[in-house]
Amino acid sequence: MYHFPKDLYADVRIEEYYNLNLHMKNDVMETDSSMTEKGAIIRVFDGEMWYTSTTNKLDDIQKELDNLATLAKPDPAIYEHPFVQKYQVHEATVLMYEGDKDARKISRGEWMELLDHYKGLCVDESIEEIPLWMVNVSCSHLKKSFYSSKGAAIIQDRQECSIGVVFGITVDGITTFGGKRYVKDCKEDLYGYENEINKERDKYLDFARNAVQVEPGVYTCILSPLATSMFVHESFGHKSESDLMLNDKTLQDEWVMGKNVGNGKVSICDAGDMPNHGYVPYDDEGTPAGVNWLIKEGKLVGRLHDAKSAATLGEELTGNARAQSYYHMPIVRMTNTYMEGGEDAPQDMIAGVKDGIYVYSVEHGSGMATFTIKPAICYRIRDGKLQEPLRVNVLTGSVFETLFDIDAVGNDFEMIDNYICGKNGQSVPVSAGGPSIRVKKMTFN
Amino acid sequence: MREKMISDNIVSEVQYEENKLLSFQKINSKTVSYRVYENGMVGIHCQIGEITDEEGFLKAEENLRERPRPYPFELESGKRSRNLTEREVADKELLEIADDCMKYICGKYPDFVFKTSFSQNKNTQSRVNDKGMDYSNTDCCVNVSISFKHVSSKDIMDGFFNFSLRDFEMDVFTKMADNYLANYTTEVELPEEIIMDMQYYGLVGKLADSLNGENLALGTSLLSGKVGEKVFADGFTLTDDVTDEESWFNCFWDGDGCVLENDKQTFIENGVVLTGYADKKNAQKYGISHTGDAYFNFSDIPGAGVRNLRIGRSTKTVKELLNGRYCVVPLNYGGGGFADNGDYTMPVHSAMLCDGEKILGKLPPFTIVSNMFDMFGKDFIGVGADKPIYNDKQILFRVKKGNIL
Repeated sequence: MYHFPKDLYADVRIEEYYNLNLHMKNDVMETDSSMTEKGAIIRVFDGEMWYTSTTNKLDDIQKELDNLATLAKPDPAIYEHPFVQKYQVHEATVLMYEGDKDARKISRGEWMELLDHYKGLCVDESIEEIPLWMVNVSCSHLKKSFYSSKGAAIIQDRQECSIGVVFGITVDGITTFGGKRYVKDCKEDLYGYENEINKERDKYLDFARNAVQVEPGVYTCILSPLATSMFVHESFGHKSESDLMLNDKTLQDEWVMGKNVGNGKVSICDAGDMPNHGYVPYDDEGTPAGVNWLIKEGKLVGRLHDAKSAATLGEELTGNARAQSYYHMPIVRMTNTYMEGGEDAPQDMIAGVKDGIYVYSVEHGSGMATFTIKPAICYRIRDGKLQEPLRVNVLTGSVFETLFDIDAVGNDFEMIDNYICGKNGQSVPVSAGGPSIRVKKMTFN
Repeated sequence: MREKMISDNIVSEVQYEENKLLSFQKINSKTVSYRVYENGMVGIHCQIGEITDEEGFLKAEENLRERPRPYPFELESGKRSRNLTEREVADKELLEIADDCMKYICGKYPDFVFKTSFSQNKNTQSRVNDKGMDYSNTDCCVNVSISFKHVSSKDIMDGFFNFSLRDFEMDVFTKMADNYLANYTTEVELPEEIIMDMQYYGLVGKLADSLNGENLALGTSLLSGKVGEKVFADGFTLTDDVTDEESWFNCFWDGDGCVLENDKQTFIENGVVLTGYADKKNAQKYGISHTGDAYFNFSDIPGAGVRNLRIGRSTKTVKELLNGRYCVVPLNYGGGGFADNGDYTMPVHSAMLCDGEKILGKLPPFTIVSNMFDMFGKDFIGVGADKPIYNDKQILFRVKKGNIL
């Protein structure tokens, strides 16, 4: 193993990444590629700052460690530094995708068979309003090894396989893109979704033919489980990432533990050990995943940490230090974040709305104090019934108010497994989930 | 026939978090694409990290046999080298630049918390082939990125400014920091007529989709059926311009290895849509003009993609274009964007009022309501000849105000 420099904290993260991507557009293979990449990030900390280096030459890791050590100022008390003390020491091998489960062993021909399967069942070229269709199959496999000067030695892997079908539907010169994408950890779990995809295509066809523009304003709304999942991630999830409040008294006072931050029906959790898209058995500082409740029955009860934020705020590690790749230092990120399901029946929630909007599907969002969600398909609700489809460009709300405005929480909980979250220039896979919820007011444009 | 594409990237970066030095990072990465062409097909091997050319081409030959990709086009040739580097800074100097900048803003603006990055990126791209092509392009710049939050703010971030320079000047940094921060706590009202003053790179993305020759041919573009028509404002001209000095790391050749005549290709001139863009593949498939617009793909064949869309600049400065009116500089905006029908709706969490040169005070949050056809049509005012706020091109256009809460 590595010879770590004396009187400095150091760690090494090695990543071996494989990716395959097949993309067919209107019967032409636009993309047909695969590649393998190996690299490492080497970090040295002297109590004042980090010195880091990235290399693709894995044989040079020791040399890089030694070079970085010459830049740092050795500190005999480095292991008493508050956040070096926080780093845990685990020796673990969590390889879930070896042997028959290793998707790297699947031939290109077998992946093409999956692509052709969905093309055959989901592409209907007789529909004139669909001039453009795309079927995408992808697979990635990542093996990470982490070693620290405190003695941590962790080897883990993650794998994701996906199938996506997208339709470009043109009505009156406007093209609406819609479809479905499924992300699973093994190829065999990607079969059996053709009916869902075709139903979604028909929903988008109806939307493209009949949608009317929303009248901007403030509406009561019902969010579908898909929309709730993005709401949870954007409205509150990002505010729970505590690297944003390290020495910030204003934010610390605003988000003080035990404070009521939402309706008593609202409970939100982040759990990296769930077998979902944000699965992180050990984070990139070597901390095992936890089940971290953030809001319990409307009260703030936790937040997400890396070692620095946990040490600064005097709280415990949560296993949320994540890096996009070996080019990046870990920062505090969500993993699988969800709002707990409730007892309300979704149809009753809709029936209780005299004049409002149902948000069926969403594209993306952002998570400032005023969070934003860009919906895909919405429907008008009148007298408790879903009416015509609506084009909504963006909906917004205040995190300080909206969690209190949730007055019904559905019993139809779902996890959504295809999100990629961006923060500080780094993108990581996450899941988000929740049930249908009713919110008394949000702003629609 | 063999071809090799190389991208060599060296980055040094200094990061600060909550005003304190966090890290110094070095990244050295090299990506090589080995390509072997035969009978209208190509085998490709993409390597990140070290490999000998012999091994790389052997793997490409294997892929030519096992998973050939169609490429029924002549390879390009030509010799040219472009080096835009003005000055490289050593790592020690980069640390000193960062330290000087942080001392300046932390000393002068103690009521703000800063998260910052100071980096130097040096990139060399090259492409050589058996047909005699020998192209290379090198660029190097210092990038400064500052996000800030007022100590009294309950938000997670209040604003952001960044710029790149091929020869770093402290004066550019201090002027920009002063402009953004000095009047941040002065509260002002939105003017009746809202004129946005923005960098436009994010705004021309919908136009790029609409000008894609494939979308035009399939009828899936908002500009389908409008080629040859005047759709946008008189002063609105849109060009793929690889000579733009305020672009960084852009090559003069495209993914197919083609070089534009005079390094420019105009798509919209004085509001008239002249042509869509196409790579070799789409030009052949749809029988449309090949405009030399293919994106790079190191692990596969190229596809249609425009590189460097630039809006023609006015001869007037931003202040002259405003002609006594005020404009709005958005500091922190996101989560919205263009809709399928071209509507543009963008929540602005924080913004500043500006006279075209000087930022005057902080505005309340609002939502931008516009449309692709309006912002580059009846509401288009122009792109200033100067660069007073962003140290980069600035577009001015009128918008309507939507509520945010």
